[in-house]
Amino acid sequence: MNNMLKFPNNNIGYLCSDMQVELGRGNKVAFKWISESMENHDYTYADLKESSNRTANILSRYGLKSRDNIMFLLPRLPNLFFFFLGALKVGANSCILFTSIGDESLKDRIIETQTHFIVTTTKFLFKLENLFDDSLYILNIIVIDDNQKTKNRIGILDELLSAGVDFKTTPTCMDHNSHFHFTSGSTGKPKAVQHVHGSAENHLSSFLEVIQPSEDEVYWCTADPGWVTGVSYGIIAPCLYGLTQIQFSGNFNSSKWMQIIENFNVNIIYSAPTVFRIMMQYEDSFFSPYNLTNLKRIYSVGEPLNPVIIEWGKRIFGKEILDTWFQTETGSIMIAMRPGLEIRYGSMGKPLSNVSAQILDDNGQVIINNQKGLLCIKKTWPSMFTSYINHPDIYKNKFLGEYYSSGDIAYKDDDGYFWFVGRNDDVINTAGHLISPFEVESALLEIPEITDAGVVGVPDDLLYEKVVAYIVLRGDIKMTSTLNLKIKLYIAQKISSIASPREIRTTTSIPKTKSGKIMRRLLKNQYLQLDFGDISTLEIENG
Amino acid sequence: MADLWEELTSVFRMVFDNPKIVIDEKTVASDIVGWDSFSHMNLIAAIEQHFNVEFSLSEAVNFQDVGELMETLQKKRTS
Repeated sequence: MNNMLKFPNNNIGYLCSDMQVELGRGNKVAFKWISESMENHDYTYADLKESSNRTANILSRYGLKSRDNIMFLLPRLPNLFFFFLGALKVGANSCILFTSIGDESLKDRIIETQTHFIVTTTKFLFKLENLFDDSLYILNIIVIDDNQKTKNRIGILDELLSAGVDFKTTPTCMDHNSHFHFTSGSTGKPKAVQHVHGSAENHLSSFLEVIQPSEDEVYWCTADPGWVTGVSYGIIAPCLYGLTQIQFSGNFNSSKWMQIIENFNVNIIYSAPTVFRIMMQYEDSFFSPYNLTNLKRIYSVGEPLNPVIIEWGKRIFGKEILDTWFQTETGSIMIAMRPGLEIRYGSMGKPLSNVSAQILDDNGQVIINNQKGLLCIKKTWPSMFTSYINHPDIYKNKFLGEYYSSGDIAYKDDDGYFWFVGRNDDVINTAGHLISPFEVESALLEIPEITDAGVVGVPDDLLYEKVVAYIVLRGDIKMTSTLNLKIKLYIAQKISSIASPREIRTTTSIPKTKSGKIMRRLLKNQYLQLDFGDISTLEIENG
Repeated sequence: MADLWEELTSVFRMVFDNPKIVIDEKTVASDIVGWDSFSHMNLIAAIEQHFNVEFSLSEAVNFQDVGELMETLQKKRTS
């Protein structure tokens, strides 16, 4: 934190690269890049500075200006980081997309945010080239692995090597838009959550308080950069601190992950419960061949951390896994277990030193200890989201007086520890990703064989919650394995593979209120074979 | 054998909605747009259905590249 205060320019792109070089870390490794085939290449902070300056020069050359929106549809390769930081240096508002994004979701996101620049590779062009009629919407597609130039396609492969390595970073004030992520609510389409350059202050302070790194440690945040954790703690915070970090291009693979921890002497890992739950399926002997003694601290985020996972972690790694809690909207960790705090299995931990968290009722009144209520954070803090782009009313509704209401239900015990209970809406948390049931239902109704649909999240041993779709089939159509697969692929291709239902059940009708709202609670209870509870608002067909 | 590669390619193209996908023994997840842990389960389901075979969980998650997937698939079809 003190280091940042020495510099008048708080542009995150500058702080993460140029400032690190000015602090004498030019030769220090910023990223140890590991490909899916386990080849390694190191990039220093000087490399990070030069490469992000090159990308900033290229983006400026092709018309990107301060406050323009830009998206990145790139695999997890070094250029993703160089372009993200380069765009920030230009002063542009950057968004890293999940590469598994479906076509319609991609189009919706581009239009919703009026984004006119996207950086990608030739591999992704099939998703982009026919997305818009050129006469209706201009999307400048910057392609980093060829040199072809057409009307809206700008191939820049050669320029990546020849562009200048000096760039004067655009000075940014604290509230200058820096980056945005998309997140789902229980209604409508995903919203773009806006963050600002001033958020860097929270990224670093929370990193220091929770992760507690030291200069010579090797850190690995496994989160995809399309996720808020992947940006806040996979790019920004470790670079602000000048730490050496691991970036692995491949998907999750237990053997490769253990090899990485061992071979690259990883000291700190920040991952997710789903990953730990998958690893728990292996016999303990699977881990025996690996020397994991350098691993000092393990953190988790995205879903509640069950005590059984912590016990497993202690047995396998000799360390307790520490839970952290934050959201896309909070931008940085708000509540966490951390070294120095007595560990309570199953608790999220305590609020960070600069965070005021409370459990409130629907009227914004503080609830007494050990009683469930809305988990709320007192505004404002530097990494707090500043808007849902184009949705000021929804933004306004996220606040209860002076508090941001997270939508999570929790309670606080007498010692100030917070305990997660559930959500106060229908949003599904599958492997740490929030899924809007409404969005999936809407897509299901586009499938000709389906006349009605209701989507719920139900507990799952691996994913925390899995997406389950209840569907009503048209006429005499019967469910077959072919249709089952067709439905899953349709959702994957339209929204994303994450939203694709893990299970599809047919039913004769979807329970709805008299006003036509789907009663997902009933579907969930039906799945779990629980009592239906209060059904006084249920619309009975032909009743 | 060539037919099997063609069929497997057609399944990949269907699952990942990309008619230009080309696979070989060395193809890994990062070579295919959209091949992540979630879509992987859809891919396995599609392969099972297309070739009328079944993968165990460990078979489904442990292959390192398409070559290993093809090897497992061939064994199942001949057994």
